[in-house]
Amino acid sequence: MLRRTPLAAAVLMAGALALTACTSEPSPAPSTSAVADPNASVTVRMVAEPGNLDIRETAGAALDQLLIDNVYQGLVSRTPEQDITPALASDYEVSEDGLTYTFTLREGVVFHDGQPLTPQDVVWSLTQVRDNPSYRDAQRLAGVTSVTADGQTITVTLSQPDSSFLWNLTGRAGLVLKEGDATDRKTAANGTGPFTLSSWRQGDNVTLQRFDGYWGDPAGVAEVVFAYIPDTQAALNAALAGEVDVVTGFDANLSEQIEANGDFAVEVGASTDKATLAMNASDGPLSDVRVRQAIRQAIDHDAIVEAIGVGQTQYGPIPELDPGYEDLSDVAPHDPDAARELLAEADAEDLELTLTVPDFYGTTVSQILVSNLHDVGVTLEVEVVEFSAWLNDVYVNRDYDLSFVLHTEARDFENWADPEYYFGYDNPEVQELFAQSLAATDEDEAAELLAEAARIVSEDHAADWLYNGASVVAVGDSIAGMPTVNVNERLNLAEITKSEG
Amino acid sequence: MIRYALTRLVLLLVGLVVASVLIFATLRVLPGDIAQMIAGVGSTPEQVEAIRSRLGLDRALPLQYLDWMSGVLRGDLGTSLLTGSSVAAELAQKAQVTVPLGLLAMVIALVFSVPLGVASALRRGRADGTLITVGAQALAAVPVVWAGMMLVVVFAVWLGWLPAQGFPRAGWADPAAALRALLLPAITIGIVEGAMLLRFVRSATLQAVGQDYVRAAAAKGLTRTQALLRHGLPNVGLSVITVLGLQVAGIIVGAVVIEQLFSLPGIGRMLVVDVGQRDLPKVQGELLVLTGFVLVVGFAVDLFHRMIDPRQREAQ
Repeated sequence: MLRRTPLAAAVLMAGALALTACTSEPSPAPSTSAVADPNASVTVRMVAEPGNLDIRETAGAALDQLLIDNVYQGLVSRTPEQDITPALASDYEVSEDGLTYTFTLREGVVFHDGQPLTPQDVVWSLTQVRDNPSYRDAQRLAGVTSVTADGQTITVTLSQPDSSFLWNLTGRAGLVLKEGDATDRKTAANGTGPFTLSSWRQGDNVTLQRFDGYWGDPAGVAEVVFAYIPDTQAALNAALAGEVDVVTGFDANLSEQIEANGDFAVEVGASTDKATLAMNASDGPLSDVRVRQAIRQAIDHDAIVEAIGVGQTQYGPIPELDPGYEDLSDVAPHDPDAARELLAEADAEDLELTLTVPDFYGTTVSQILVSNLHDVGVTLEVEVVEFSAWLNDVYVNRDYDLSFVLHTEARDFENWADPEYYFGYDNPEVQELFAQSLAATDEDEAAELLAEAARIVSEDHAADWLYNGASVVAVGDSIAGMPTVNVNERLNLAEITKSEG
Repeated sequence: MIRYALTRLVLLLVGLVVASVLIFATLRVLPGDIAQMIAGVGSTPEQVEAIRSRLGLDRALPLQYLDWMSGVLRGDLGTSLLTGSSVAAELAQKAQVTVPLGLLAMVIALVFSVPLGVASALRRGRADGTLITVGAQALAAVPVVWAGMMLVVVFAVWLGWLPAQGFPRAGWADPAAALRALLLPAITIGIVEGAMLLRFVRSATLQAVGQDYVRAAAAKGLTRTQALLRHGLPNVGLSVITVLGLQVAGIIVGAVVIEQLFSLPGIGRMLVVDVGQRDLPKVQGELLVLTGFVLVVGFAVDLFHRMIDPRQREAQ
């Protein structure tokens, strides 16, 4: 029988890799005058593979990374820096009352199967998302009363102002598909983006090819291979052996090893990943706000950020990249003594809690939490579960004390205004502020209202935010144009290029 | 012999049915379901329910089992709930990686374990014989993940001779490239399995040395080694085949670990992914085929043994 001792393997491996670092031969310095090769094929290591390609029904950032912008497009899109930009619409206008959105549809856009994009395709796409509650993000278009086309002008009217509407159109809800398309969306795609989906080998890779009929600037490379390599060590090996050009989802702690021979540079960009420690306040000791505050103050957030190697602390529900961000570090600063006092006050000494964590997050964060909470007299039992079990126990049944999950979605404050969400946080004041922020027609006003609501959520100690993650990407020296900000959520590769040689 | 074969065949079929029930039942014990996986975080219970009913997961379990079995009897292993692809087709595709990997691993294991095992038995008590035995002990104790990692570091990262991971996108269209991709993973499994086999060959050889017929042959003027090679080895070979049959299961388990480590798109990796995604119809199809394969190999080894070993025939 074969044996498996991952810990021992990891320890020995670390030694072996340190050796690699010492013995690798220096490679020639990257040439600055490298010429981009339009026929190049770029291989990008990805962590998670989508289960199928149906962007209408199947959840998961893996699908967004692969298909949005690259294969499918909407009227508008967003930059890595989270700014809204025109895509299939060359231009757009919002009426002063915030109820009418007018888009000018580009001419000469064709789908990958050669059919032209018509205004009717846009009308059909948006209305069918709104009318199919089983589609993901359908509720984001719930306020749409009509979508009409007049020539190349598309008009969308809302029943009430929605400051998040344009943003929502940059996501799945706004994607434009061909009306009456017979393509099997589970295994194929027919979009308008710079790449066509050329092949999918399940459990291995998805290959995109440059679409020659693309309406905009053609993609910088002929082919992009999304290589799904979940294992970090395997990904590092593949990079060191020159088999991948870009490694996304890289472990910042391995930076020295991948940079040792000069073929790769690790780039760190901001992200909207929120490492959320959800607290189930529905009953038991966690329903006491003093206990929740004590847990937050017991946690050494700086130590967590240091252990992860990148990212920054975050003390409220909104990360720096999103509107409404505010530094809330004053709300629950690290203070074990204060934590002990709070627990004593709440009569909650010798507390025992369970932390439910999906199995793909590693053990670093859990170990720090166990140790920090042990310091103040709280015993934490870590329960590592498969994601499917997490969905069932924590997300659906809310059967948990503490749960640690990375919420990667940008602008997802709505979950704190939804008592039905697994956070179970129910504060009418926050819900009202969120509603007002949606109804605001001025961006700054909307952001201020969000900031106000976020402060309340943090002051209620509805959860803890262990850190705001970063996008860590190791980029090969022949690669240019690789996005580095928030790539865990979206990954537009139209501008990536690879130099010859 | 025919009666024996028939009895054994009935046992095989009973085994398969029992296995199918066990596979079906144990998978249903797993928490979480595919409808929730498809819908994901941010879904409403209504969305999940709609997906569940579209996939037919809201029907009674015995019905689902009977559906599955009637499909299997008609030669239909079912379809993936997630991708809608045929389980049989997926298995056939992934087998193109896993079967050559397993065979290659087995060949590698045999190539070094048989001669070294016999040699170490013949050199019992001498320094070189002890060295082989101790070496085999050490190798058999090596974690397969670690062995793989070390091989990758040396042959892929340092020397650059072989790929560190993955399988050519063109598959076996370029046999040399495909073989190169399988070499490191096969050596990894082969070393660990071979080390265990080596110890077995050694003890089987030692046993043969002590047998009367070997001693009789030696008395007729053959050296001990000659006597063993001519008369003892066929018996050793017989036992090795039995052990190889048992090792098929070990190689499949090894493939699950190794395919993960080397990112090979084979059956092992497919299983891990499908279980994670709770694509249960697909997982149960895959497990049934694998279990069936192991049972059939056991059946074949038994029959083979029976056919060539006169002592077993007489015992009946």
